[in-house]
Amino acid sequence: MILLQSHSRFLLQTLLNRVHNLDKAVELDYNWVEFDDVRFHIQVSLKNSHVLLLSVSLPSPPAEAIFFNGLPFGAIEAIKAAYGVVVQILDPPKDGFNLTLKLNLSKLPPDEEYRHAILVKIASVREVVLGAPLRVILKKLGSRAVAPNKDRLIAIVHRPNESFFLVPKVEKVTVVYPMRFTDSIDIVLATSFLQEFVEARRTAGLNSAPSCLWSPSPPPELEGAPAEALSANAGFVTFVIFPRHVEGKKLDHTVWSLSTFHAYVSYHVKCSEGFMHTRMRRRVESLIQALDRAKPNVENSKKTPQSRSFKRLSLNEARTNSKS
Amino acid sequence: MDPATSRPAVVIDNGTGYTKMGFAGNVEPCFIVPTVVAVNESFLNQSRSSSKASWLAQHSAGVMADLDFFIGDEAVARSRSSTTYNLSYPIQHGQVENWDAMERFWQQCIFNYLRCDPEDHYFLLTESPLTAPESREYTGEIMFETFNVPGLYIGVNSVLALAAGYTTSKCEMTGVVVDVGDGATHVVPVADGYVIGSSIKSVPIAGKDVTLFVQQLMRERGEHVPPEDSFEVARKVKETYCYTCSDIVKEFNKHDKEPAKYVKQWRGIKPKTGAPYSCDIGYERFLGPEVFFNPEIYSSEFSTPLPAVIDKCIQSAPIDTRRALYKNIVLSGGSTMFKDFHRRLQRDLKKIVDARVLASEARLGGEIKSQPVEVNVVSHPIQRFAVWFGGSVLASTPEFFAACHTKAEYEEYGASICRTNPVFKGMY
Ligand SMILES: Nc1ncnc2c1ncn2[C@@H]1O[C@H](COP(=O)(O)OP(=O)(O)O)[C@@H](O)[C@H]1O
Ligand SMILES: [Mg+2]
Repeated sequence: MILLQSHSRFLLQTLLNRVHNLDKAVELDYNWVEFDDVRFHIQVSLKNSHVLLLSVSLPSPPAEAIFFNGLPFGAIEAIKAAYGVVVQILDPPKDGFNLTLKLNLSKLPPDEEYRHAILVKIASVREVVLGAPLRVILKKLGSRAVAPNKDRLIAIVHRPNESFFLVPKVEKVTVVYPMRFTDSIDIVLATSFLQEFVEARRTAGLNSAPSCLWSPSPPPELEGAPAEALSANAGFVTFVIFPRHVEGKKLDHTVWSLSTFHAYVSYHVKCSEGFMHTRMRRRVESLIQALDRAKPNVENSKKTPQSRSFKRLSLNEARTNSKS
Repeated sequence: MDPATSRPAVVIDNGTGYTKMGFAGNVEPCFIVPTVVAVNESFLNQSRSSSKASWLAQHSAGVMADLDFFIGDEAVARSRSSTTYNLSYPIQHGQVENWDAMERFWQQCIFNYLRCDPEDHYFLLTESPLTAPESREYTGEIMFETFNVPGLYIGVNSVLALAAGYTTSKCEMTGVVVDVGDGATHVVPVADGYVIGSSIKSVPIAGKDVTLFVQQLMRERGEHVPPEDSFEVARKVKETYCYTCSDIVKEFNKHDKEPAKYVKQWRGIKPKTGAPYSCDIGYERFLGPEVFFNPEIYSSEFSTPLPAVIDKCIQSAPIDTRRALYKNIVLSGGSTMFKDFHRRLQRDLKKIVDARVLASEARLGGEIKSQPVEVNVVSHPIQRFAVWFGGSVLASTPEFFAACHTKAEYEEYGASICRTNPVFKGMY
């Protein structure tokens, strides 16, 4: 598992469960939060258990990102296009959420495969909603129809009070991420990870991937961005997206990868930390073993070879210590 | 204010057999998956044989091994379909034995199952009452260093199971928790939220043994279950059809008189050929759970029935707590889910207690009448994940966040702060 999937695992599981037991009346009420502070709430009532209310709250947008009625640009159209008759948008949404969808599970298509695809799409609601503005722009790039006021910088929210930036041109879209981390070790690891990431892009076999750059200071594309957006403790990453990256089915994938790039890096930083801990534990263990072997053979009979901690004294040792 | 306290805490109960994970405030965990990791060892072996010069290859092999693993049901499926994956069970008998596997397991729970950012949530984890403080330090180290969690609380699973009772009854933090999981059974007395450590009793028989016993009974009767599937089938049979009877002899008679009513059918598909098969399920329906009440039918080494173990446990607790303990015996863990399990436990335990009261009255010549002892085994529908549910309830009280160790404290004082976790106000 290297990439984050676009659908919420729990949401999909719940939907599938409901669909398979549609004749069974149940009551459901779940709240949960996924990365980048996207919050979910689902509700099914006993009376009407083929109807499922799904509410989503999005990361709070910074001033520069454009929201209409609490949703990113193009989100309503994207929802309608993706879900059709199965979903109805409730206005206003439930208190504390940006969006509430009413899913009518009895309106799902009978065809097994198609139905599954729709459920996966519903479980990917964050991609549909948060990725909407990005999708609009990349779609235009695909059809080479980028709007004439082209040199504008567009901000898209991806984390609470943080956005990344797009510079759409007719032949390419430049995407810039200010990378920020809170933990000091994370900052170091992320910085070196990003440098390696850019390096890896240059190796053979990845020639068709979008070109990417890392720089410690804001790239020229960010000229005119608000001051807060220009500070980033792990540098700036720039991708250049060409029409070939958004052809046909590639579009969905590109939208998702770009909107979750920060989460992707953050996940890898955590993986590397885990990896280093594994190495460190092995090292400590082998050192302890070496120490144990070096001890004179007086009372070695009962000692376990892999004692796991420095601090753990065996009973024997404790006793001899207190006697002496 | 810490923004993480405005989000629900993540509650993960890592059991020997199954991990229950979800968010505080919900009534059920989001996922219940087997606590198992499938690691692709082929990378590691490669790297060992290669020479020092190719450290890059070694390094990337390590990185690949680090990423190429699965947990839970996916892990089980992988290890079945391919020989490159080895299963590793990070928890044995309630204790973490393999920290590398455990760290990976948590990594997947957080990023791939719950899909949350660990920096955004306080965490509540669980441990067995027998866990050593060193193990808590390790857990703290991993949570704070690898995952950067803002706050951590490690709850004792028996105490959490007691806390789970308090939406169904009153908030009683004195009682005996009978936790029958997959790999271990513990009887743990708790007084005012504190475990009475010296009185904890363990029974070497738990859910896995019931499964093995059912499997053995079916095999001995000659049911045609494909051998590679027989453990899984036995587990499912156990979970769907087993029940606790009140008397074995009577139950045998019932089955013999009305087989149509009692004998069930199991239908499956052979994994290799895809051909359907079916088999009968008979006496194992009640003999399976009987191993807790008559262990000698299964094991020659251990022969004390569970009710007697509970009685011993309470008798060894401080005398002023005993009445309260008999009054609140709480069940927890998947293997207490058998139908009528609590009835049988209550009846057998009551018998033991009454016999003792009678004996002591006889000894005293009938002059002093003692007050009757109330024996009460509490059962509730969330028993299977009572520990998780208790965690979910506690972690949604306002006192929870104050009881947690925070990242700042960890950085100030080090992992040793995780050795103790306070019993906090929400528990009363
Ligand atoms: N409905 C059921 N009836 C009987 N046994 C069950 C049922 N559901 C789960 N189990 C058994 O409970 C055990 C898991 O219990 P659990 O408390 O999750 O264990 P642990 O915490 O030790 O991992 C497994 O052996 C499983 O087969
Ligand atoms: Mg357990």
